[in-house]
Amino acid sequence: MLPYYLEICVVVLGSLMLCMELFAGRRSRAKIAMVGVAGLGVIFALLMFAVCSPGEDLQYWGIYHFDKWAAFYKGLALISTLLVLVMAREFAPVFKHYTSQDEEKSGIGEFYCLPIFVCSGLMWMASAKDLVTIFVSLELVTMGFYVLVAFMRRNVGSLEAGVKYLILGALSTGFLVYGIAWTFGVSGTFNLEELSVVLAGDDIPSAPVMFAFALLIAGIGFKIAVVPFQIWVPDVYQGAAMPVTAYLSVASKAAGFIVFLRVVDPFLAAPSIREPAIYLMVFVTCATLIYGNLAAIAQKNIKRLLAYSSIAHAGFLLMALPALGAAGTIAGPGPESAISFYLAGYLLMTLLCFLVLTVVRVATNGEDLTALEGLGKRSPFLAFAMLVGVASLAGIPLTVGFFGKFFLFNIAIQNAMQNGLWIVVFLAVLGAATGFYYYFKIIRAMYWEGSVSEGEVTGLKVGRLAMLAIILLVVAVFFFGIFPAPLLGLTL
Amino acid sequence: MSIAFIILLLPLVAAASILLGIRKKANLSAYVSVASAGICFLLTLGLIRGSGGEAGAFTWLSVGGLELKIALEITGLTRGMILVVTLVGLLVHIFSLGYMRDDAGKARYFAGLSLFMFSMSGIVLADNFAMMFIFWELVGVSSYLLIGHWFQKNSAAEASKKAFLVNRIGDFGFMAGILLLWGATGEIGFSALRETLEVQTFDPSLLNWAMICIFCGAVGKSAQVPLHVWLPDAMEGPTPVSALIHAATMVAAGVFMLTKVTFLIIAAPVAASVIQHVGALTALLAALMATQQSDIKKILAYSTLSQLGYMVMAVGFAGFLHSGEAVGAVASNAGFFHLYTHAFFKALLFLGAGAVIYACHHEQDIWKMGGLIRLMPVTAITFLIGTAALAGLPPLSGFWSKDAVMAVTQNSTPLLIVGAITAFLTAFYMSRLCTIVFFGKARSQAAREAGEVPLMMRAPLVILALGAVIAGFEFAYGWFIAPADLPHPHGALPLVLTIIGVAGIVTGYLLHRGREKDPIRVEVLVRKFYIDEFYLFLVRVFQDGVAYLAKAVDQLLIDGLIVRGSARLTVGVGLLLRGLQGGNLQRHVFLFGVGIVIVIYLITIALG
Repeated sequence: MLPYYLEICVVVLGSLMLCMELFAGRRSRAKIAMVGVAGLGVIFALLMFAVCSPGEDLQYWGIYHFDKWAAFYKGLALISTLLVLVMAREFAPVFKHYTSQDEEKSGIGEFYCLPIFVCSGLMWMASAKDLVTIFVSLELVTMGFYVLVAFMRRNVGSLEAGVKYLILGALSTGFLVYGIAWTFGVSGTFNLEELSVVLAGDDIPSAPVMFAFALLIAGIGFKIAVVPFQIWVPDVYQGAAMPVTAYLSVASKAAGFIVFLRVVDPFLAAPSIREPAIYLMVFVTCATLIYGNLAAIAQKNIKRLLAYSSIAHAGFLLMALPALGAAGTIAGPGPESAISFYLAGYLLMTLLCFLVLTVVRVATNGEDLTALEGLGKRSPFLAFAMLVGVASLAGIPLTVGFFGKFFLFNIAIQNAMQNGLWIVVFLAVLGAATGFYYYFKIIRAMYWEGSVSEGEVTGLKVGRLAMLAIILLVVAVFFFGIFPAPLLGLTL
Repeated sequence: MSIAFIILLLPLVAAASILLGIRKKANLSAYVSVASAGICFLLTLGLIRGSGGEAGAFTWLSVGGLELKIALEITGLTRGMILVVTLVGLLVHIFSLGYMRDDAGKARYFAGLSLFMFSMSGIVLADNFAMMFIFWELVGVSSYLLIGHWFQKNSAAEASKKAFLVNRIGDFGFMAGILLLWGATGEIGFSALRETLEVQTFDPSLLNWAMICIFCGAVGKSAQVPLHVWLPDAMEGPTPVSALIHAATMVAAGVFMLTKVTFLIIAAPVAASVIQHVGALTALLAALMATQQSDIKKILAYSTLSQLGYMVMAVGFAGFLHSGEAVGAVASNAGFFHLYTHAFFKALLFLGAGAVIYACHHEQDIWKMGGLIRLMPVTAITFLIGTAALAGLPPLSGFWSKDAVMAVTQNSTPLLIVGAITAFLTAFYMSRLCTIVFFGKARSQAAREAGEVPLMMRAPLVILALGAVIAGFEFAYGWFIAPADLPHPHGALPLVLTIIGVAGIVTGYLLHRGREKDPIRVEVLVRKFYIDEFYLFLVRVFQDGVAYLAKAVDQLLIDGLIVRGSARLTVGVGLLLRGLQGGNLQRHVFLFGVGIVIVIYLITIALG
């Protein structure tokens, strides 16, 4: 089976669901989400068993590449979309509250379809090795998100977030295109492989190349939320519906990172611009680590807290970048593997947290830390699941988050020993320690704060599918925290 | 599967079966846990008679040059340590059967104990840093669970949180140190590291930094200054837990780890000097603080801190250059020897304190006790034996090990003096404690009604008392440290130390005999040098300052107008428009532009 059939399958699935929404009766309309979940599951199985052929680098028409990274990130996109659909199904009551109680007018069926189309964009991004393809797939994803973020049309926060995301997103797109234009102007090519050959040449003028590099960083940095292009994150995360926030923070970030890695690579590999490029990357990394971790401390809204923590995680991920194309060898997994592993772990633990938060949000109608109070007594299992997710985000051993941080720190420290970039390691250690503080606030809220009176001790209602997803995610966080090899093996 | 693996895994099986299966049956859970501890102890007896070496290695993770192995290593010190862990562990399990008889969370408690036994055995048996670090974190978790056992009590919940967070600070340093070392040498196993250091030379400043980072881990776990603040608070946990975890085993893990990397301390003289001085400072400060506490467990906690300081100081001397040559393994052996004897008498003292607290209906204030020697003679006598051992009176175990430690400090006069002062203070505060609690007349109703504790609790006391008496003789330690490998004091040191010990005891007795409150009150010691207050202040400054700054950046610069919070939930397009007109979005766009300008500006700088 040809790899690009996967994207076609996803688009067909989305269209099918749209048709269901349009023509099917009330009862089958309720099953749209289930069709999406099942379909994505089948496509994931196809990816795993019918397509997957790592080792070879397949190319189609010069714009579509299929290598192990592409396969890995396509998998991440599929899994996260699937879980977001599960989450969206759980979130349906809140949607209806902010749209319309009438099933037909609420447009909830469309809400289930949009992530599918976004998913096809994410998968295409994973295969893009050409600046134009990257741009087009990136826009496909972003367009979908514009609608998703603003979907709760009677919620002022959601609308505000949508407008902000739209305008800032359009702005960043402008810079991205500008950067692509400069790159083309200097090198005469859109293809990243040809670009690396051209940039490695001796007679390359460094100033315009660096200018193009800065603009590209701004454009893609917006998607992965690194400082100073993170301004939209807290507001949009807080305003958007819970499943959309989860989707933004996981899938959009993961796909953004693979693109980021691919775009940065030719620049870092070019000897004449490597040094200033690293200088810029180190600045961005340090700023991201400081800003994300410090700003998270003061947050009381959980989504906002997770928004800042997602900025902080981007900072940890960036730590490994200066090692790209470095002269010395790194013992242990290389930067690409470490970043991919971290992102996969980040997917598991973040979606776990958001699934629990979705349940809490539906039951308590609150998104502040206070909404979690007494969860430890009301629903011990949900509280435990949240504890596991948060512990993993903080990087406690035996969770997947620990190994993620371990590999990244390993690279950063070895890198620092070669070129003396100790400041990054120092800030990262500080940031990780700060992380314990603000993640602990969540645990404290669940177990120690708020008194639940006897009458109130009722468990929260959880859908069967969501419960299954939570259980699987808890198991996965532990499993890959104890045996990281299977997951890591996919990235090597 | 070797014996060592069974010792490691059996408590895990017990913990898992309690948590997943028989949690509802509290008594059965307790017996399962005690049985696993008992079997582990018997297996340990078999293990320490066998030959050493590695046991059952299998690869856990192997990626491009990084290979993590699960492998157990049994060396001389490992044998001593595993015996301490399983023996004290078993006795504490048995003692707990009595102490926690009517506790509502009995099954949870015993599951926690078993989990702890698993993690602690893991630390002791680990043959590489990666595995040790994982178990290092696991003991942190089980300690956290056990300190917070009575989580309904706010102070217990706070204490467990404090212990956990303070330990994290140390652990980050520990991990950074491990990675540094691994980055420099490419090795992570203890024996492989030792061999590499022997044949290759490395940049000494790198080794010093790595060792200091690794020492941070020990500072956290063994509660050395400045991270000592969690240990006294950890006394909120049940007393048997304090005996096992916060006196005999877990807090000693830091010292044990240092003895395992003695070769590294020798190679890193600057770090060694840091270690010595941190240890000496802890020993002295903690002993001073212990003299003014009135909670029986807190006194013992500060005493533990102080003794751990002794051990750390001794181990640090391994890298001390004495006429051009490092003192070497002799010093760390002395530290470990003190760890070994201390485990017996400190566990004894804690369990004795537990018995007293149990008998006095959970009263912990020594000024409400008194005259207990008549009511509970077995507890009192065993407690006095423990006290004498801690004060270093011959021929009890503490005398021999303290001699060994002080013999090491004879290399450096200032530290020798610090050690001697600490020895005096130790004898003094213990004598104060015993005089007030066991002699004189009862000061409260609870103390008058006290009676001897049940056999289940007396038996461990007697066994540990026996240990406290004999552990310092050659037949009790010779099988893991050859006496020739221990330092020997010069001159009249043993005599001087004995005189200091006796003087401390006599002073303590005379000062406190028949008193109703402390004759000397030193505010700064009562308030523990205001260190907790200072940290609280720092945290507040940090939280208020930095968090305020972060929030200010967030809200003023980025949000512009307040459209957050409750307004978010209200439906109204008007607010949205106001938010837009108020410059909120414009400001966002402006800041985005500023970001681009910064990035481009940086590039122009970078390009020169």
